[in-house]
Amino acid sequence: MAVARIRQLTYRYPSSDRPALDSVSLELRAGEVVCLLGPSGGGKSTLLRALAGLVPHFHGGVFSGRVEVGGTDTRRARPAELAGTVASVFQDPEDQVVLTRVDAEVAFGLENLGTAPHEIQPRAAAALDSVGAGHLLERRTQELSAGELQRVSIASALALDPLLLLLDEPTSQLDPEGAEEILDVACSGRTVVLSEQRPTLALERCDRVLFLEGGRLLLDAPRCEALEWLAEHRPAYLPQFRVLTGEEDVGSGEPLVRLEHVSYAYGGRYAVGPASLALRRGEIVALVGPNGSGKTTLAKLAAGLLEPAGGEVQLRGRAAYLSQDPGRYLVCERVDEEVALGVGGDLARARRALDLVHLGGYDARHPRDLSSGERERLGLAAVLVTEPDVLILDEPTRGVDPERKALLARLLRENAARRATLVVTHDQVFAADVADRSVTLGAAREPAHA
Amino acid sequence: MSAVPALALLACLAAAALLADRTVTVAAITVLLLVVCLRAPRRRRWPYLVGTLVSAAFLFLLSPLLGSYGGAVLWEGPSVPVLGRLDVTDDELRYALFQALRLAAVGLAFAAYALLLDHDRLLQAAGRLRHSVLAVALATRLVPSLERDAAGMVEALRGRAVVVEGLRGRARLLSPLLAGSLERSLNLAESMEARGFGRPGRTRIPRPPWSLVERAAVLAGLLLVLGAVLWL
Repeated sequence: MAVARIRQLTYRYPSSDRPALDSVSLELRAGEVVCLLGPSGGGKSTLLRALAGLVPHFHGGVFSGRVEVGGTDTRRARPAELAGTVASVFQDPEDQVVLTRVDAEVAFGLENLGTAPHEIQPRAAAALDSVGAGHLLERRTQELSAGELQRVSIASALALDPLLLLLDEPTSQLDPEGAEEILDVACSGRTVVLSEQRPTLALERCDRVLFLEGGRLLLDAPRCEALEWLAEHRPAYLPQFRVLTGEEDVGSGEPLVRLEHVSYAYGGRYAVGPASLALRRGEIVALVGPNGSGKTTLAKLAAGLLEPAGGEVQLRGRAAYLSQDPGRYLVCERVDEEVALGVGGDLARARRALDLVHLGGYDARHPRDLSSGERERLGLAAVLVTEPDVLILDEPTRGVDPERKALLARLLRENAARRATLVVTHDQVFAADVADRSVTLGAAREPAHA
Repeated sequence: MSAVPALALLACLAAAALLADRTVTVAAITVLLLVVCLRAPRRRRWPYLVGTLVSAAFLFLLSPLLGSYGGAVLWEGPSVPVLGRLDVTDDELRYALFQALRLAAVGLAFAAYALLLDHDRLLQAAGRLRHSVLAVALATRLVPSLERDAAGMVEALRGRAVVVEGLRGRARLLSPLLAGSLERSLNLAESMEARGFGRPGRTRIPRPPWSLVERAAVLAGLLLVLGAVLWL
């Protein structure tokens, strides 16, 4: 039985002159887990919005073709009416939280759908339990980490028990174990469309794979057939692991960063420590560990952005730090000016840095008009342009497609000799691709040494 | 105390401060509200307290210069075009203090609402006013989220070797902060629509009845308003 049908869907956003989706047709069958792959800006999020009715109702634009979900034509039903039949988890959990307490947040959708009052609390609690977030029930949403917020967002969708679950990069903020756990829960017993830029886990669990590029559906095939197609046409989407250890010989470059038994606390709660870490010129180190283990805090300590509560930080040379989600922190009106900000307005240097991250020709665009993956690369250009001795990147692959990740890894490796590089990441494939060695942080408050 | 009686009490205190005629009454309400606000975490309370107290201080300082209420002249300044001669009298000072305390009381009542009340509970209790209460709750969250974004932006810029200094440097962040908050509002609106907001026939989590203390607090608040009108 078909849960959703798309016939010849072509859609163009109001601000764009080319279609985001071009003659897309497909059918989603009950209980099927579909993995949606493709490059950034290829139309994945738009396809999910079309299935939720948000395209065209919320975004406007030019829409032709037909989308039916649970037998309802989405042109005739507003997204709020489709809610419950469809549930969506969007890319950025911070932007979808409506309320201030976790229990109320998960109950929000259930209340809107008119669930019987006595069922709301038990269903919200059960959904939180199922994603391993039962302990967050009474917490304030502003106090949660990005990974915790992502679990709450997924619980909010699962609580509705939808016919069709749409997940747009639902594990981008989760450590590999957490991501595996969440996908197991989300993909059991319902129809799921799962868009992922870390496709390893999704490819293990799916029944079928779709590949969208430039708005066109290049592939719609069962998993086995799709893996063969990917191997031939898009190998970057298949996991190519090498084992990364903490022991690899990295030569004898001069030490640029040394953290000795450093610790740091936010409002009395220790986020790091005591932990030690050394970085030499010429090496790329991946900093990995579970959500909440203090990776970002340690990275900020290494960059000199935080003062340790205890221990010692020695930093030689100039450090640059690319924050998580740099797209939020863009301050200029043009892409080239944004990059030039760190080098006293030198636009020529800025354009060279933009070329390095494959954003040449974007100079005059407004930074906020770029896609999330492009913003991530813009942020990278803005730190690379300063030619730092120590380069620290915090989750630099969020929203970046596998082919761009491979290019990013190559770029970092080509320039590795000039500096020491620390990459904080949950992306095991990227870490293995880019780093010489990895440092694993344990859970918060446990000592970690490397 | 749960959110609805607490909100009613705060509204009564603000109303009493606006209706009372005696400076000492308004001062007492202001101090009470200040003490309440100081229960909020230091990191969250400072923008509200600074905003309220600085506004009240400005009103206190400027009002005597601009107003003319008679009384004994304490200071006489130059003559300024449009405004005329600047002077400060004892009556003007008293009036300025009274108005500044009123402003502070109302500002602090709002600060206590923003900092200490559970907006989700208010929303659940709102019934037909749900849409309006949600709009107010989301607007109230704007200040802390802008503050968080500003801190993140300054840190991200430091990581790119850009130092944000002085009033001018911070003023340059206003436009991107506003753009970011507009972008976030659109994403939030999309998410709310996808979660069925605005659909008819909504229900709500059953909420516990008001306790005796909560009923007494609301009654005391109403009596305070009545007292402010009649005697205070």
